[in-house]
Order: sequence, then structure tokens, then C-alpha cells
Amino acid sequence: MDASVPRNKAQDPILRLQGLSKRFGGLEAVSGFTMTLERGELKGLIGPNGAGKSTLFHLISGLYKPTKGNFFLEKNELTGQTPDKIVAKGIARTFQTVKLLENSSVLESMRTAFFMSYGYKPWDLFFHTKRYRRQEEAFKEKAHEYLSLLGVQDLMDMNGNELAYGLQRKVSIAMTLCLNPKILLLDEPMAGLTHTEKNELTETILRLKERFELSIILVEHDMKVIMNLCETIAVMNQGRLIAEGSGSEIRNNAQVVEAYLGTSDV
Amino acid sequence: MDYFLQQLINSLGWGSLNALMAAGYTMTFGIIGLVNFAHGEVMMVGALTAFWVMVFLQLPFWLGCLAALLGSIVVGLLIERIAFKPLRGAGMISLFITSLAASFGIRTLFIMLFTDRVKPFPVPDFLKGVLLLGNLILFKKTILIVLLTLFFCGLVIYFVKYTKTGAAMRAMSYDPEIAGTMGVPTERIIVVVFAMASFLAGLAAIFWGIKFGSVRCSMGVIMVVNAFIASVLGGIGNVSGAIVAGYIIGIGETLFVAYLPDHLVGLRPLFVWIVLFVLLIFKPSGLFRPNIK
Repeated sequence: MDASVPRNKAQDPILRLQGLSKRFGGLEAVSGFTMTLERGELKGLIGPNGAGKSTLFHLISGLYKPTKGNFFLEKNELTGQTPDKIVAKGIARTFQTVKLLENSSVLESMRTAFFMSYGYKPWDLFFHTKRYRRQEEAFKEKAHEYLSLLGVQDLMDMNGNELAYGLQRKVSIAMTLCLNPKILLLDEPMAGLTHTEKNELTETILRLKERFELSIILVEHDMKVIMNLCETIAVMNQGRLIAEGSGSEIRNNAQVVEAYLGTSDV
Repeated sequence: MDYFLQQLINSLGWGSLNALMAAGYTMTFGIIGLVNFAHGEVMMVGALTAFWVMVFLQLPFWLGCLAALLGSIVVGLLIERIAFKPLRGAGMISLFITSLAASFGIRTLFIMLFTDRVKPFPVPDFLKGVLLLGNLILFKKTILIVLLTLFFCGLVIYFVKYTKTGAAMRAMSYDPEIAGTMGVPTERIIVVVFAMASFLAGLAAIFWGIKFGSVRCSMGVIMVVNAFIASVLGGIGNVSGAIVAGYIIGIGETLFVAYLPDHLVGLRPLFVWIVLFVLLIFKPSGLFRPNIK
């Protein structure tokens, strides 16, 4: 019996979505969405514009409260929790549009992400106590480390908002690493990047996944990226999960083709 | 020249009141986009609490001050909890209308219960004298008000700029959603900000009482218009900007009245509207950069 417990635990999915729904007035943006994410899995989430992918991310990150359904991280139910609690439990996300703090350095933007791990008090700051200096050192070291993983460590003191789009995106991914995530939700991280940048970022994502033992859901429009990167692909249309499987299964799925191209008899 | 300097010195007390109110006003705007017209009532309730403690209960001055601060903080947090919290995520207009309703509601309730008659605010003797500086007269109470205002404003600016709560406030003023997903406990920060803003309003209530020697239920109306215009002038959401702009408005208004012919003194309230009018034409974003800084 003792042996069976850890084995079962290892097989439990890390994230479980059960019939998640979100209704805005007359529109059901996400509708009865059920899906699981295994530990260490990299799942691609695709679907036409307006399929509800971003809404689903908003639900999982706590920005929206689901109208129906619930979701679990490991054994913990997270339904209805606030974004900061969900982040603290280990689900971090990026946004489609990158927003770094205005007129602040990259380092300052990253400081926000360290909010929860700050341990010093205002007086430590005022008197520049040892505790303050130690934490500042640690913070800068971590920030530098995470930025290096994305190859943007030289930008630490630059104004975040003036960086090129692709670089801002990398910074925002580095920020999510500061949150010690178990699960990363990446919302179109490749949009607007050049071909080379996409290849680079693809490799980086794989590297981060290994290093931090992440489970990732990736929303992306570039099918090449999705096919290269993801072990499994989930397809969403009109708020529903219409197919899930490997790249070739998805490519040959009639419903998926229909969702993207429309039916032939229209 | 002496007349000008004397008026300038006299205006500093009123400037301080404006600065304290504008700072609180601009903070709530910064983090939840709320134009809080009920902020004047937060001050009024503090002032009335102090009046009640000092005049009815006959308790000492310092307890009255403590009561004013507590009264303001309690009512500020109650308004947040009852009127604004249910509207999270709603647009600016909904929040604006709700704040107007809260302001009218609280003011009317207090006027019904206590009338709008002027109520005495006992000022202790040590604040009553004057100091002479050449030909100029310095009121002791004005000195105290200015020094304490500068001290607490400095504290607030330090807090916003350097502490982790301040960092969270800045992140929220930029984008509350992203702040939340970066681990900022947004609801807790909102409570802290309302408590801070209400504390400043409580201070303003005490200073109003000390300056004028009386308080009344409609005192919040005048104050909130000035605070609103000062916070726009200071670049809305910008705390240090609001403090500077509060002084500009308070000093400007006093000097405006000082140089008006006697029969036109009733035009005093016109001053802030002229400021707003000129501001909206020439520099609608305010003198300083918007957003919490």
C-alpha cells in the first residue's frame, strides 16, 4: 500500500480543469471545458480567434471567476481564488500584450514579481540594514540569473517600455520565473517575432521546462511552432475543447479542419 | 510687499489642508481609477468624531485628534467595502457615480442627524499664540499644521517610492491585472491605500478644526472640489505632484481673495475653477507625470 501512494501521486495530473465555463451576458466564452495537464507536459492550445483561449487563461489565473466548473492544481481546488493566491500556489502566466512598468528599468519591473518573497520591513529599508542589503543582493542575483536564461541580462538597467517587442517578451517570461511556478501559461509568446527569434524562443522554452521542471500550456497561432514544440495539442473552438492529441492526430481531425477552414458545403 | 508676504504665510495652512486631501484623493485614483467624491465626507466624519469626543464627552484634545483619525479611517474603509468593492472591474463612470452617491448620502445623513450648524472645535492654548518675525505675524497653529503636513506627506512619498507596498501600488496603478498575476495581493493593497488616504483626511480634519476653530457637516464639499482640482493639476495618480499642487491651489486661492476688492470676496470658490479651466486648455495631463510615483 505504501508503494502505491507515491506511484499514484506521480501519475496524478498537475492541473485538472473540470467543466469550466465563463458566461458574459449572452455569450458563453468558455463552455464546459474539461482538460488535464500532466506533470512535465508541454501542451499546445490552439483555436481560431475568439475561441476562448485567453478567457481560459484568465480563468486559470484567477482574473475571471468561472460561472460554472472548477479546477485543481494537484489536489488543491483553486476555483474562485484571487490571482495572487493562485500565483503563490504555482501557476504563473504571461500576457498577449507585454506590459512592463512604465518609465521603469527592467529590474524595477522584475521587482514586482518578487513581491511575495520580500521579507524586509520599511525600517530595514530606511536604515539599509543587513537584512535589506542581503535581500537586495539576492534579488539582483536572481533577476540576473533569470534574465541570462533568456539571454537578456544586459538589459537589466534599461527602460523596459523602450525595448523591442521580442525583448520585452523575454523579460516578461523571466519575470514569471521569479514567481517559482510549477505551471506556466504562455499566451502567444511568439506573436510578432521574426523567424529566427521564434526558433530561439522555442529552444529557450524547452530549456526552461527542463531546468525548472515546468508543465506548460502554450497558446500559439504559428502551427509550425506548435507542432515542433508540443507533445500534445488541444484545440478549442467556440469555448469548447473539440480535439486533443498528437500533432498528426490533430492535423487529420475533421472537426479541427472544419473549425479553421469552415465546412465545404456552406 | 509685507502684505503679500503676510498673505503668503497665512495661506500655508490652507495649502496644507489642500495638499493632504489631494494626496489621498490621487492615491485612490491611482490604484483603482476612482474619482472619490466621498473623500470629503471621510474628512467630515473625522472632524465630527473629534467634536463629539472633545465637546460632548469632554475628553482632552489629543484624544479628540486620535478619534478624528480613527473615525476617518473607519468610515473610509467602510465606504470602500460597501460602495466600491462590489464594483471591482466596473468602469470609471460607475465608480464615479457611486462615489457621488456615497458623498451625498453620508453628508445628508449627518446634516439630518446633527444639522449643518457650525460646531466648536476646542483648540488648546499652546496653539493659540503668534510669533513675530519683523513685521510679519506667524500663527503657532499654522506652523504646526505646515510642519506636520510636510512630515506626513514626506512619509507617504517615502512609503510609495521605497516600500514593497509602494512598489505594489505602482504596479497596480499601471495595470491591476498584471500586478495580480505577479503575486500582488491587490485587495489587500486597496485596503492599505484607503486606510492611508483616510488617515490623511483625518489629519486634514484635525487641521481644519485647529485652523478655523469650528467644523460642520458640509465642510467636505469645499474640500473635495479643491482636492479634485489639485490632483488633476498634480498629474492624477501622482502623489508628490498632488501635494505640490495642493499647496499651489491653497496658496493661490488665499492670494486671489487677498487681492480681490472687498465686495467681490464671495467669488473665492471661483479660483479653483479658473485653475481647472486654464489647466484643461493648456496642460490637461497636469503639471507632473500621471500615475503613482
